[in-house]
Order: sequence, then C-alpha cells, then structure tokens
Amino acid sequence: MNKRSAKRKNPTGITLEIILIIAAFLFLYPIFYLILTSFKSPAQINQPLAMPDSLYWGHYEKAIEKVNVLLGLFNTSVISVGSIGLLVIISSMAGYVIARIPRRFFQFLFFFFISGMVIPLQTGMIPIFKMGVALHLIDTRTFMILLYAAGALPMAIFMYSGFTKSIPREIEESAAMDGYGKFRAFWLIIFPLMLPATGTLIMLNIYGIWNDLFGPLLYLKDPSKMTLMSQIVQFKANHQSIDYGPIFALCVMATLPLVVLFIFTQKYMMKGLVAGAIKG
Amino acid sequence: MKASTREWWTGFWFILPATVLFSAFVFYPFVSSIYYSFTEWDSIRPAKFIGWDNYAFLLEDSKMLQAAKNTILITVFGIVVQNPLSLLLAILLNRSFRTKILLRVAFYLPVVVSLVVTSIVWGHILQYEGLLNGFLERMGLHSWVRDWLGDTRSVFPTIIALTQWQGLGYCAVIYLAGLQTIPQDLYEAAKMDGAKALNRFRHVTLPMLMPATTIVVFMTIVGGLKMFDIPYIMTGGGPGSASYTLTLAIYNAAFRENTYGYAISGGIVLMIFIMIVTLIQLKIMRRKEVEM
Repeated sequence: MNKRSAKRKNPTGITLEIILIIAAFLFLYPIFYLILTSFKSPAQINQPLAMPDSLYWGHYEKAIEKVNVLLGLFNTSVISVGSIGLLVIISSMAGYVIARIPRRFFQFLFFFFISGMVIPLQTGMIPIFKMGVALHLIDTRTFMILLYAAGALPMAIFMYSGFTKSIPREIEESAAMDGYGKFRAFWLIIFPLMLPATGTLIMLNIYGIWNDLFGPLLYLKDPSKMTLMSQIVQFKANHQSIDYGPIFALCVMATLPLVVLFIFTQKYMMKGLVAGAIKG
Repeated sequence: MKASTREWWTGFWFILPATVLFSAFVFYPFVSSIYYSFTEWDSIRPAKFIGWDNYAFLLEDSKMLQAAKNTILITVFGIVVQNPLSLLLAILLNRSFRTKILLRVAFYLPVVVSLVVTSIVWGHILQYEGLLNGFLERMGLHSWVRDWLGDTRSVFPTIIALTQWQGLGYCAVIYLAGLQTIPQDLYEAAKMDGAKALNRFRHVTLPMLMPATTIVVFMTIVGGLKMFDIPYIMTGGGPGSASYTLTLAIYNAAFRENTYGYAISGGIVLMIFIMIVTLIQLKIMRRKEVEM
C-alpha cells in the first residue's frame, strides 16, 4: 500500500522506468538476435527481419556433430577453475603477508606486483611462447592455468592486502593461543573471513578467462585442448561465413553457462564490488 | 630465533609462490622482451642485435601507425563517450525502480558475452544484407545503407561503437558500486543547505565518485589498448589497414610475418603507451581527489 502511494506521487519515475526498459530491450536486441537466428530454419536464416515460425534444432545438431562441444566445455572449465583456484590460493597468502608484516622486503614485493598491472600480456607473448616450448608446456592446459593466474596476480594481491586490513589482529592472536601454526591459522581462520574478497575476485576474473581468445589462439593449437572460444573461431575459419546457423548455435552454447552463472550470482557481485573493489 | 625473524620467514614462505609465478610469467617475459626489441629475430636463427632499427621502422610502417591511431581513438572514445554515458546509466539504475534488478542484469549482459561471440553476431548484423541495412531500408533511410565493415571510412567508427556497447555495462556497474558507498547523510546535509539537485550532483556525487572514476578510466584504457578479438574476427584488420589495432598488428608481425623482434618492439611501445596514459590519468585524478 505504502509503496504504491509513493509511486503515484512520482509519475516521472514510471515514465523513466518505461524508457529504460525500452532502452534495455534495444540494448539487448543483438543477444536476442543471436538466440533467434540459431533457431531459424536454413530457408529463413538469410532474412534477418523474419521471425522463426518454429524452433529449428538442426543447427545445434550440426554444430554438435562437427565440433566436440563437450570437450571444449571441459577444457574451458578446467582452465577457468584451475587458474582461479591457483590465483585465490597464492594471492590470498601474498596479500595477507603484505598487509600484516610491515617489513621493507614485503613492501618492495608489493610494488613489484602492482607494477605488473600496466604490463600487457601481449608485450611478453613471444618470450612466453619460447618459454612454453622450452618447458614442453605449449599445448597444455597447465600452461594456460599458470599464465592466467600470473596475469591476474597484481589485481588480486592488491585486493587481498586491502581486505586483510579490515580483519582484526586479535583473531590471529587468539588462534596462536589455541596452538594454531601460522599456516593452519591462515587457512582455517583468516581465509574464510576473506570470502567477500574471494567472491569479488572470482566474479572479476571468470568472464575474462572463460571468454579469452588471445591465449588459446597462441598457446593451445591442439584440437583436443581447445577452449570453446577457439573452437568457435576455428569452426568459423573452416566454414568461411557460408553457414552461419551452426556458428550461432555454437555461440549460444558457449555463452549459456556464463549467463546462467551471472544471473545466479549478480546480486552477490554487486555486494562484493561495493565491499571489495571500490574501497580497495 | 627471534619472534620477528620467525615472522619474516613465515611471510617469506607465504609470498614465495606468488613471487615465483609472477617473476616467471610476467616479469621475465617483459624484461626479455625489452632485449629482443633491439634484435632482428625470426625464432629460428639466433637473434641479431640491431640497436634502434625496429623502433625506427615502426615510425615508417603505415600499418603500425594506422594501428596506433585506431588504438588511441578507441581509448579516447571510451573515456569521452562511454564514461559519462555509463555514469548516467548508473545514476538511473541506482533509483528504486520495481524492475531494478532486471534492468541491471540487462545492461550488464553484453559484458558476460565474449568478444568472440559479440564479433560474430554483430558481424552478421552489419553484413550488407544484414539486419541493420534491412532495418534502414524498411525505415526508408536508403542513403544510410552502406557496407559497414567493408568501407574504409565506416569500418573503424563501427568497431568503436561496438566496443562502447560491449563495455557500457561494466563501467556502469563500477559506478553503481561507487554510488552505493556514498553516505546518504551527505545528501541530506546538502539539501538542508539548500543545494539544488544539480549542485548536489556536482559537489557531493562527483567528488565521492572519484575512486570509481579512476577504476573506470583505467579499465577503459587497458581494455582499449588491448583490443584484439573484434578486428581479428570481424575484419582481419581490413579493408586495407583501416581497422588495425596495435595488438592485432603485433600479432600479425609475429605470427604471420615471423618478424619477432619487430613485433616485440611494437609491444614495448604499446606498454609505454599504457604507462604514460595511466600515469597522466592517476596524476589528474589524484589532484581532483585532493581538490574536492
């Protein structure tokens, strides 16, 4: 009741809301278009303004038949989960130490890490490639995991060291009194308290890693190791834009997991950003 | 062992894995890139030291110069157009609409969709026989119809517009997070002092949003300078070199033409770009933050 009367007092609010909804619809149209076109029959696919009259699954069948989507999904998931897992483990320890031990060595390392924020991965791509060859890591998912984790370290360490400052020192002192070693105290007591920072970190990195093309293009050429993105690009290159249907179906399948993840976590992401990233 | 020494060693073991990984995969490749940028190197024969030749050649290479121009354009557009637009969007999305959550999700969704998929969908929409031209025809705007990606004059503005669409939600969400950290009593105090809406925006919202602005501008710069996927998939840099970006030019120099040393010198220039722009930006922002 109360809400409704407040709304009535403010009619510009509703007009504005309707304008925004229309804007959002136009803004999202390319995404509807992607999904729509992936269900259009081959006869209709070159009529961009036409609406499909029934769901045509042929493009999906063709895409799955030609491309090992499940393998791509597996590779992409292994690389995403692996690199973020590694990133969280080592950057939380590093950020914690930098915030807690005010010795010159650790402060120096902090600036060392932060300076990495301005080094683009592209600058080092050729030496990295050479190193991958020398270490027999080219065409392995492990290499991608190490690269992504290393590249995201500066931001992650920055966030964790900022977040550590909000954790009271008494917690560690009481853990030490209970006979916890430093290592156990960190993982069993401190790390769980860093959950908001960890959540933000995952949300900030998962999309970039999942969607990355540049890395797999350079370092993962073996078809059995390809990620979803390089599968799409490879498939498109092999079929030279003649057959858009299966490409669109592939795009939908590669995007769907992230969209689902985003819809379920978006509330948390907002909170995490407010708590973690902005206050730093 | 003294307690502080023991603490130092614990810290050392804690920070060691991150340091090793960062040194091996970020710092070492960077340092060796600086060395290789002064060499002629095709990765088969050993690198030959040639001094500043690569850098001198960069300045004469019309493709590289076009790429640098395009890369700067993307970044400037991001800061001048996308940045204020995303702030406006954030302010609107911060109101208590009934469809607030839905609207936020809608405007953020393009960020979740990869640049690969974005390029493919938009590539289809922008074809000569595609959705956009079909729509324009139907609206009677025949003179607007063009080969958006095939024309040297329209290709890069089109790509810029696309990057703005893709990144708008990301910037808006950071501003939105920034808006939510502004304490409500600041507005109430300003109201009591008789400040009008526009003045409240200028003297409360904007200064309090400075940290968020710093992040947004930094992300826009880094994202713009790294732009690769869209021109790689949609145009391959063409027609001619009209849609080259620095990263694409570097990639081609290295993996198409096998001129590794030269490609790396382009990469170094890219990095110096990022550093200079970031430093200038941080200086300006710092000063603004102090002023307020």
